[in-house]
Amino acid sequence: DEIGLIPCPEARYNRSPIVLVENKLGVESWCVKFLLPYVHNKLLLYRQRKQWLNKDELTDITCTLLLLNPDFTTAWNVRKELILSGTLNPLKDLHLGKLALTKFPKSPETWIHRRWVLQQLIQENSLSSLATKGNLGAAPVERIHRLVQEEMNVCSEAAGRYPSNYNAWSHRIWVLQHLAKLTVKVLLDELSSTKYWVSMHVSDHSGFHYRQFLLNSLIRRTVTDNNILVQNQMVNEQNTSLQKEEESAGTEATCAEKQSVDLSRRLDEEMELCSELIDNYPGHETLWCHSDESLNNSHHSPATSHMAQAMDVDGLNESSSKQGYTQETKRLKRAPVLDSLGPEMEYQFVDKVLSTCRDVDQARFATAYRKWLVTFLGQ
Amino acid sequence: MHVGGEVDVRSAYCAASVASLTNIMTPALFAGTAEWIARCQNWEGGIGGVPGMEAHGGYTFCGVAALVILKQEHLLNLRSLLHWVTGRQMRFEGGFQGRCNKLVDGCYSFWQAGLLPLLHRALHARGDPALSMAHWMFDQLALQEYILLCCQCPAGGLLDKPGKSRDFYHTCYCLSGLAIAQHFGSGDLHNEVVLGIPENCLQATHPVYNIAPEKVARAVMHFLQYPVPSLDPA
Repeated sequence: DEIGLIPCPEARYNRSPIVLVENKLGVESWCVKFLLPYVHNKLLLYRQRKQWLNKDELTDITCTLLLLNPDFTTAWNVRKELILSGTLNPLKDLHLGKLALTKFPKSPETWIHRRWVLQQLIQENSLSSLATKGNLGAAPVERIHRLVQEEMNVCSEAAGRYPSNYNAWSHRIWVLQHLAKLTVKVLLDELSSTKYWVSMHVSDHSGFHYRQFLLNSLIRRTVTDNNILVQNQMVNEQNTSLQKEEESAGTEATCAEKQSVDLSRRLDEEMELCSELIDNYPGHETLWCHSDESLNNSHHSPATSHMAQAMDVDGLNESSSKQGYTQETKRLKRAPVLDSLGPEMEYQFVDKVLSTCRDVDQARFATAYRKWLVTFLGQ
Repeated sequence: MHVGGEVDVRSAYCAASVASLTNIMTPALFAGTAEWIARCQNWEGGIGGVPGMEAHGGYTFCGVAALVILKQEHLLNLRSLLHWVTGRQMRFEGGFQGRCNKLVDGCYSFWQAGLLPLLHRALHARGDPALSMAHWMFDQLALQEYILLCCQCPAGGLLDKPGKSRDFYHTCYCLSGLAIAQHFGSGDLHNEVVLGIPENCLQATHPVYNIAPEKVARAVMHFLQYPVPSLDPA
């Protein structure tokens, strides 16, 4: 489950340089200068059509090459061909990539190839869900879910191996966008599962950016869901409504209301997390940036615009309001309004930091944040 | 970036750069490109590799330069971009970082500092009265100090930061950044700001293509002689 290079400048004993201990693969460094050119050359000769290699040899050679240097695009491309011809199982490449990332957590080509493989698997999956009864064991949805979870793990490990690992976090975002389809459940799960990690990596801007991405996606989701809800309500109003329709509009409204409440609560939690970390770990610019943006989102949250929309609908249809519907809009109006004291609390927080901190950078960030509060929020 | 390869804002820049120099641009070729690049700008103000990604110096330069070529810089929020890039110059080192809370790196002398000439031009086109007529909106001398004092390899060539080894990539972009820092504007408005002895002064570089401005002019003139190729069968 892990690979590494063992510093060993000379071959001491007459034995294999491959060391396998407790599922971890090591290669003694002296052999690399012989091994790498050898396999590299073999592959190039194959590519130039000067020397044939069969599928097994190709699989082995590319595997060796990529564990020594995963940024060798040609080797990954050979494996793409093997996958497309049906000789190589794409899951093997996910495993190979995962192994390569333990030693080369940034490797751009590894991440790129990984996305190609996942795209192949998505296609395969959608085909098998069209066919009757997938013969691959688990249902397609289940498979996707497992893939997503595995990718989250791989990203998390790679992120831990290299600070601010842009490629790992970018991949994580890509997986959520293309495999997990940005459902509310996934977004909330990811928020809670990364909370501990970012608290342990307070200078990791990529980690915090990921949380901004999650929060922004939640906001966009909420807005979309609310728009659908409002549209549905208007449609319901136009038809002769039965008791059932009103009830379902009721549950939808409850859900949307709950989502907005959840969302503002999440944003508040994010601000709390920021403040806590800023207090505990003075002088990290990332935390202040994150604070800026979270407050900005809080301030312009769709929760408030959702209320406005609901009230608009009510206004338009006052004359034809039915019992159930009126009750519903009353409930919406009574829902908790966003804490308008947000910025006030932030001023207090900043002033407190400025008066108690001794770290020069912390003071600078706090002053800049205060200026930002005044300028951008216009408060 | 290549068939079956990754998609990100760099390829948009490469394509725009090549197509504009060789006079093969058509509206169809870049239909939707400018809007896609604009979507890569995020809440930080900078631009990421693809929409949704973290703002990053390299990708930001590629995005902005491509939009300049496509004459669509106004699709960006220039104010937040300016705020982001100026925040990337390190107050102690003088060089630039690629992203918030990361370390300084010589190559960002070009990717980041190079944004300021582009922004200056875009804001000038809007008639912004506050723009300087002599300096870019970053500390030109501090950047030159970082490059000259920290990024030179004693055996020749330039590098990321002290302790790293030299390579062609860093040599190229440290020098490009140095050129940007030394030369403001062009023609009548040209203002040289050279740290140290006059011999330190490099030739100016074109802020969009990063080759000598005369070369850009010659390439464009040359290819304008040929018609734009069409995709229609003969």
